Amino acid sequence: MNPLSSARALPVALACMNSVFRIKAFAAVLTTSVMLLGGAHAQAPSSSVAAAPPSPAFDAQFWHLPDETLLGFVEIPAGPFPMGSNPLIDPMAFENERWSETRRQGTVDLPQFYIARYETTIEQFLAFMEDANYRLVELSNAAGGNHPVSGVSWTDALAYARWLEAELKSSEQAPPELRSLLTSGWRLTLPNEAQWEKAARGTESRIYPWGNMARKDRANFGAAGTVPVGSIACPECPYGLSDMSGNVWEWTRSPYLPYPFDPENVAVNLQEDALWVMRGGSFNDVENNIRTAVRGAADPGARRPFIGFRLAIVRE
Amino acid sequence: MQSYSDKKNPASFPKSQRTSALNAATAPESSKLIFGRSLLAVPALFTTAFFLLSFLPRVQGNQTLVWSFWAATAVLATWLLVMYLRTGASGIKKSFVLTAPKPQHYIQAMVHLSVYTYWGWHWPPVQEHALLLLAQLLFAYAFDILMAWTRRDNYLLGFGPFPIIFSTNLFMWFRDDWFYLQFLMIAVGFMGKEFVRWNRDGKSTHIFNPSAFTLGLFSLALILSNSTDITWGPQIASTLSLAPGIYTYLFLGGLVVMYFFSITLIAASAAAVLFGLSALYYAITGVPYFLDSEIPTAVFLGLHLLVTDPSTSPRTPPGKLVFGILYGLGVFALYSILSAFGAPTFYDKLLCVPLLNLSVQWIDRSVQRLRDNKSLERIGLGVIPSRKANLAHMAVWIVFFATMTMIGKTDGRHVGDSVPFWAEACAEGRATACDRLLLIESNYCADNSGWACNEIGAHYIKGDVAAQDSELALGFFARACELRFQAGCLNLLEPERAMVSDPRAFDLRLLLREGGQNLLEMPETDLYQRACEHGWNHACQVSVASVL
Repeated sequence: MNPLSSARALPVALACMNSVFRIKAFAAVLTTSVMLLGGAHAQAPSSSVAAAPPSPAFDAQFWHLPDETLLGFVEIPAGPFPMGSNPLIDPMAFENERWSETRRQGTVDLPQFYIARYETTIEQFLAFMEDANYRLVELSNAAGGNHPVSGVSWTDALAYARWLEAELKSSEQAPPELRSLLTSGWRLTLPNEAQWEKAARGTESRIYPWGNMARKDRANFGAAGTVPVGSIACPECPYGLSDMSGNVWEWTRSPYLPYPFDPENVAVNLQEDALWVMRGGSFNDVENNIRTAVRGAADPGARRPFIGFRLAIVRE
Repeated sequence: MQSYSDKKNPASFPKSQRTSALNAATAPESSKLIFGRSLLAVPALFTTAFFLLSFLPRVQGNQTLVWSFWAATAVLATWLLVMYLRTGASGIKKSFVLTAPKPQHYIQAMVHLSVYTYWGWHWPPVQEHALLLLAQLLFAYAFDILMAWTRRDNYLLGFGPFPIIFSTNLFMWFRDDWFYLQFLMIAVGFMGKEFVRWNRDGKSTHIFNPSAFTLGLFSLALILSNSTDITWGPQIASTLSLAPGIYTYLFLGGLVVMYFFSITLIAASAAAVLFGLSALYYAITGVPYFLDSEIPTAVFLGLHLLVTDPSTSPRTPPGKLVFGILYGLGVFALYSILSAFGAPTFYDKLLCVPLLNLSVQWIDRSVQRLRDNKSLERIGLGVIPSRKANLAHMAVWIVFFATMTMIGKTDGRHVGDSVPFWAEACAEGRATACDRLLLIESNYCADNSGWACNEIGAHYIKGDVAAQDSELALGFFARACELRFQAGCLNLLEPERAMVSDPRAFDLRLLLREGGQNLLEMPETDLYQRACEHGWNHACQVSVASVL
């Protein structure tokens, strides 16, 4: 795909998405120069295909979560990180990624939290649906249980989080460290958009989790469908997380508000229809939509084949 | 085929045909009998037409509906075949008795049809149901003819099935996925008319109003099985009021029936009792008894067109008065009883009719002791019916209705479905107010008002209106959130916060419809003005701001 034409195709792609559900986040209009620069950034080194990683193992005994010490939750240490986009560094930046009228990028100091290494899978969500008799989602694992779950709404994602938290708290089998966290004021929920962005780009101001150039060998985008979670290796990605770019858009627990981001700010206009932020882009997006700073938003009831989620453990 | 003209003495018929003529006990003198085995072609024609309807897109759109038609066709076709073989073997000929059309059939049917037309103009599902009404008519004719010919040799061909089908469907019909039950319901109605009979004034006549009988029976089954949602019953009951001025319309239609069949005392006394009891309840408790008006629209329809069948109601004026009063009392009591059991209240007008039908002979006999009461005779309540007295009663009814209309008790504004009213009444601890508040908020939530869903969720968290139940609360918050009501989403993240906020413009368009048309097209300024007038204080500020 011609990267320049990909960049130009964005408004069209967004228009199509708008016809399905309301994506407000990409209201910014790209200038020709931005598109040209964006094209230059989007050259993928086709020869540097990373070796396929060993497929992640999931344990049916543990709600099909990853067979790891913390069931796939990765610690993100406390500390500041740059949030938002600086168009001088990232020419593909949209207007809604600008921090404020006077600043292009902000710095957010986040306390420690944990985030799932992988997007929530179909198998994991099916276990929840069966156990909780949850019937609001139509789901099949015909495509493969380790693909990311999609077609789930924001409310479905939170229902899953509540269920898993209750399971982990009450189960003797749950790792003691996790149980200890969850019984001492930490919550299993969706990450807010700052947590998501820090987990995706680390403390550097990376455009993509692996660096500043789009790479087809690092993320599933511009494709026909999802791939199993963790099936694309990304050794450069911070914190060893998978699929932070592409595969499926990921719901966050942040209402869609203009920057600067403030985790305490819930001053949404309650008279306006709800919109919640999603991050990371999906398999059917082009490279500028899978950047770490891109802010998507959708109706909380939207159940679309390109929207999924991953969980986080955060202190209340 | 042979035909016999009017006024032939049955004794002069050939012996094989005399039985048929004598069996036509109900045939008036002007009847015409038509004989012949080939007459089986008539029910066959009805069955074929019924079957052919199943190929129209309206039916083909739902596979269960198609199979319902085909199963009913199979029953009718099998019955026809058996009938054909039996008549061939025995040589017995079947006949139709043709008489002048009976006013109680065609006039009632025309009034029913006019209600469908007006209501359907304002509620599209009625238009979509028109084909299924026609199908039920064809099915009913075929079924009724075959049932009559199975039990005797003649069938009184007229407009009889029309009012039965029309009045049944004015109160309930099954959803497409369950429509085979509709055919069963119709069949039960006709069987009730055929088999459940008694001798009244020296004539064999059916005890129950056929449509009321089957509606009562099926209502009971639906309540007991908690499966009302397989019918359109609640929607039918609540959407009649979508037609503007429906009370006046029903009143005018009712006058026609009152004029021709002298049922003024039944309808008027039932209405007066309901108006009176509602007013009394309001005076005592400070809250309305019924949610949508002093008399729910569907009840007003029922007391004109369901309970007033001349064949199954009392014949004496005092009997009619008692009958109407009992119907009013029955509906009033059933509304509370059904509410207490958590059953849908729209069944109130259906359940008591069969019981009242059973009591008509007793009522007529009981009032005979008033035979010599001159005072009653002077006000038209003597036991001997008189057309003049009926006209006088109609005049009283017209004055009564006009008065009720002028004081806003019919098509006027009613506080029964006003959320601010019930919220205030609940806060003041008035009787049943909190239950009503929860009920109407549930209705609005089901209508897709995110605001209403969030309010219910908050009630379940706070335990102020209903007992605390965090699981239920989360379900309502999730629904509110999916309906884009932001407070619902925030509550889903922190349920204990139970955040509430004012309804959005979209919610107001649902909340202010008051059982009438939704207000999706109303300009926002008008909408907030209306909301302000209906007790939504936040809307007054918006309204004032928009004027300034």
